[in-house]
Amino acid sequence: MATLHIDPTQLSFERPRTRRYIIASYWLVVLFAIPLWWKTTSIDRLSLPTSRVYAQRKREVSFPITVNLETKDGGNAAAIAREVQSCLRMDQAVQQGSAIDITVTSGDKSNASYNVVLNRGNHEPSAEGRRLYFDMYPEDDQLSHDTSVARLASTLSELLAPYGTYSGSAIQSQRVMKYAPRYRLAFTLLNEDAASGNGALAWDVQKAIQRHVSPLLNKLSVLHNFTIESQVQFHAPLAFEPRYIQQDGGDVHGLTHEDLTVFVNSAEWTLSSSASNDPVIHFVLFIPSSKHSPLHILEEDGVSVNPSNAFLLPQWGGIVLHNPSHPPSSTLNPLPRLALSDLDLIFNTFAYQLLTLLGVPGLPPRVQSVSAAEGAPPEPFTDWELDALLRRRAVENVWGSTETLESIVRLVDQIEGMPVGPDVKGDVQDALSALDDVHETSRSSPIAALKASARALTLSSRAFFNPGMLALLYFPTEHKYAVYTPLFASVAAPLVGAVLREIAAWRRARKAAQAQQQQQQERRPGERAKVD
Amino acid sequence: MRWNICSKTSLLLAFHVATAFALHEQFDEDLHLRPLRDGKLLSRFSFTTLLKGATPRDPQLLSVDDEAQHYTLFPLALGQVLREHAVTELHLSLNAGRWNYEAWGYPDEPGVGTGAELWAWMGDSTQTSVDQRWQGLRNALAGLFCASLGHLDEQRTTSPSLTFQPEGSLPNFTYPHRLRHATLPSEHVCTENLTPFLKLLPCKSLSGIASLLNPHRMFDADWHGLGVHVRYREDAGVEVRLTFQAVFDPVRSSNDRRRDWSLRSTFDRSIERACPVAHSSKVRVELPHGPSPYSITPEPTGISDSVATYAVDASDEALDVALRWPTEGSFEYPNTSKVPPLTDVSVRRTLKGTSQAEAQLTLVITNNLPVQVSTGYLETMPWHLQFYLHTLKASVNGAARDDLVSILSYMPPVPHSRPALLQAVLTLPPSSTLHLTMDVLKPFLRYTEHQPDAQRGWDLPPAVLVPFAFGETASQNHTVSQPAGTIQGSLVRPRRIYTSILLVDLATPDFSMPYNVIILSCTLIALLFGSVFNCLTRKIAIARVGPTPTSAARQEDHTPAPEPQAQ
Repeated sequence: MATLHIDPTQLSFERPRTRRYIIASYWLVVLFAIPLWWKTTSIDRLSLPTSRVYAQRKREVSFPITVNLETKDGGNAAAIAREVQSCLRMDQAVQQGSAIDITVTSGDKSNASYNVVLNRGNHEPSAEGRRLYFDMYPEDDQLSHDTSVARLASTLSELLAPYGTYSGSAIQSQRVMKYAPRYRLAFTLLNEDAASGNGALAWDVQKAIQRHVSPLLNKLSVLHNFTIESQVQFHAPLAFEPRYIQQDGGDVHGLTHEDLTVFVNSAEWTLSSSASNDPVIHFVLFIPSSKHSPLHILEEDGVSVNPSNAFLLPQWGGIVLHNPSHPPSSTLNPLPRLALSDLDLIFNTFAYQLLTLLGVPGLPPRVQSVSAAEGAPPEPFTDWELDALLRRRAVENVWGSTETLESIVRLVDQIEGMPVGPDVKGDVQDALSALDDVHETSRSSPIAALKASARALTLSSRAFFNPGMLALLYFPTEHKYAVYTPLFASVAAPLVGAVLREIAAWRRARKAAQAQQQQQQERRPGERAKVD
Repeated sequence: MRWNICSKTSLLLAFHVATAFALHEQFDEDLHLRPLRDGKLLSRFSFTTLLKGATPRDPQLLSVDDEAQHYTLFPLALGQVLREHAVTELHLSLNAGRWNYEAWGYPDEPGVGTGAELWAWMGDSTQTSVDQRWQGLRNALAGLFCASLGHLDEQRTTSPSLTFQPEGSLPNFTYPHRLRHATLPSEHVCTENLTPFLKLLPCKSLSGIASLLNPHRMFDADWHGLGVHVRYREDAGVEVRLTFQAVFDPVRSSNDRRRDWSLRSTFDRSIERACPVAHSSKVRVELPHGPSPYSITPEPTGISDSVATYAVDASDEALDVALRWPTEGSFEYPNTSKVPPLTDVSVRRTLKGTSQAEAQLTLVITNNLPVQVSTGYLETMPWHLQFYLHTLKASVNGAARDDLVSILSYMPPVPHSRPALLQAVLTLPPSSTLHLTMDVLKPFLRYTEHQPDAQRGWDLPPAVLVPFAFGETASQNHTVSQPAGTIQGSLVRPRRIYTSILLVDLATPDFSMPYNVIILSCTLIALLFGSVFNCLTRKIAIARVGPTPTSAARQEDHTPAPEPQAQ
């Protein structure tokens, strides 16, 4: 009977203090769990070397070039060298953003990268290898001397910096293909309709490539590798109807300039295999059907025929229209084979188009190319041009890779949920060190600089297209909360409720205690008064 | 050297275009039409391009840059795929419908299994493994033909090298050749597959026989399928054969139910002009040998062995072959129970059972010959159906004859990764029916492994039978004679018979399951948490029973209890 009289508030586990401890410990567990939860659900975002990336923009690649002057007739080469140097200093094209640093010397043949042989005469300048033969005017007066020097300076500037300035996006010329370590060259003989009677069923493509394209490719092998493929198509309909005009009493079909932009019918023509991801440069020899024959390109006015029968599609390839001349006996049958002699002119055009698409600058108009040995086949282009192209590609790659790296950094800054894994960070760092290599090696070897710049470009674009960076973009945080809510809401409700109730109880207890105290205080003076 | 010969000859034969042209590469096209006894019309287009003197790429040299590829007639897109993955022999077929062996006989192209089938022989290499190149190959072909061949992954790939022998020769590389074979029965062939197929032809569908390939008619046929076959012929070179087979029903499309047909009525086109680069271009019509008289127009170029041949390049005007039975009215279908089947062996495969866990696979094989026939039997079964091999039972006329199944080889499946491969030799007694039964297990799939249309079930690939040995008394008149002029070599090679495909219904979950699980487990955890928490923080109160007001009973903290009662 006595146990019944124990007050439950006096039990050890029923004391308010114990209860508060229990509630507090629950909240402690929740608090300690938060960092763990944060860690396990947060996205892996490694820090990127942002400042190093932004610093790249301020660095400029510079290729030092030494040009040595020598005179055949014992003239004062050193004096001319000084004058040419000061002329070049004033040349805007060389000075601003051309990424070259020219020093003109005399008498130091061994260290110089280029040599200029000065002569007296009236011949046009000619280039051979890394050598330039230049004729000063034979007259001895000051005026012709100054003119000669100015002419030499401008020739040098055109040879060494043929692209003008490199700065900014102007570098991405509209025509030139983007740099790639390997290109696929796809040659296609397209018959619009071989069954109609006009066409060619085969061509001596291997020999023609051997003769006209291979020398170029050999010379360009420091820059790119090439894969070659060729095919013949016998039915390649046009997507539009060429314009019909009369000229010199004959019927002519013409392509207007608008037609040229839609000439390639990619829905019907399969022009290259898709065996690899290398960029493809297309070369199309188009033979119109007898219905559209002969086919020519029209002038801007749309009524007269342009003498050229070839055109170039920027960053895509070149197209040559061919109207075979039929012997009268076989007007109805297509030609069995285009022989090498027929292809010579066409492949010359293809070779020229290839050079244009790859950005080979070409010599200044008045400079001629001469071959080193008598009788040897002429070089497709001189080393002056090759070096200029090399420098241009290196600068272009550096610019492109810097741009890509900046985009990555900006993108990662902007998108909170984008993960940055160790592979992305590694690629960015490697690209940066490749860029450092470019700056280092540009002093000594342009080829090494190009290789490093190509590496930087590849690494930076690999980092940019890393598939791991997309992973969490498709799993927004809202989804996470949708999964958590059923658990957390139902658990949190009693926890919060308990805390609120406890606080309320504590306040009430304090108020009650205060009230009691007051009561006691009020009662005490009354008692005293009674006693008094 | 080759080029020299080529150009010299081209001068000599400048006016004979096709001959002069055909020296390095040769393109032949052929259309074979065969009226079937049930009134249908079988058409087989075959486009063969031979790359003379070429050899397949040695996979050991894959790391070295390939030589430049110059093609005139050979399809460049396909040629580059073959070079890139160093494939020696390749067979791809995309078919829709079930080939009716009993009524139509053996097909001209043996690969008639429903859906997609791809098999390739590739040289092994230390550079890149066969499996890596197999993956690259099926992805490349998937892109080329717009078919979901990328799904032919490890879960469907086997190597049944006895049944799928190389049709050409295998060059002598450093390492031996390996076979990879996979089927995808749920793939359907349609226009998007035919368009890239036509682009591989030198004359596309604009001239020559290929101009008959009219998608509106082709995909209206009772059965249709396209095939790509690449093989290496040691004495000739690399050969690509593109085929299209279709079985039309002239009776269905004719108004008065006659079986007369013409090219125009069947394909809605006639051959207007010849393909200028075809070395030979022939339309061959197998003449019917029924009792009713027939007429064929126009006059064929030649007739031999009851096959009328038309040379397309010779005709100046449009060619429209027509075959008519002038005396016949509406077509009388033959009574199937009275006419004998056209194949040596008939086979029927079914899956029985209603439960979602177990079923029984039954194979009914009838030997139509009066002699004993030995046949190879091949099942390449994805792990979606698993065999209980010990329950395999063979019976003839109800009597158990387990001795008829011999040389059984079985590679069990690995769930979620590898299919099963079952090969056996069955001996079929003369003119009798063999019943083969086996219990199978239907496994559970993981939640993510189900197809988008999970309730439809899974298509299972066809089994393949290869009758190879006929009893010694087998005489020629029993075996159904192959139509003359088909590809040499297919006569000596055992012919494959594909069974129909199966549909298995696997247990499918309720796909809202994950969220249900989350909700249910959260509720449980919350319940558990709530009760424990409540228990720990509960306040024990004392309720007074008696005259005291209820409000006083609640005030347990401060008022002393003269007569407490435990709750």
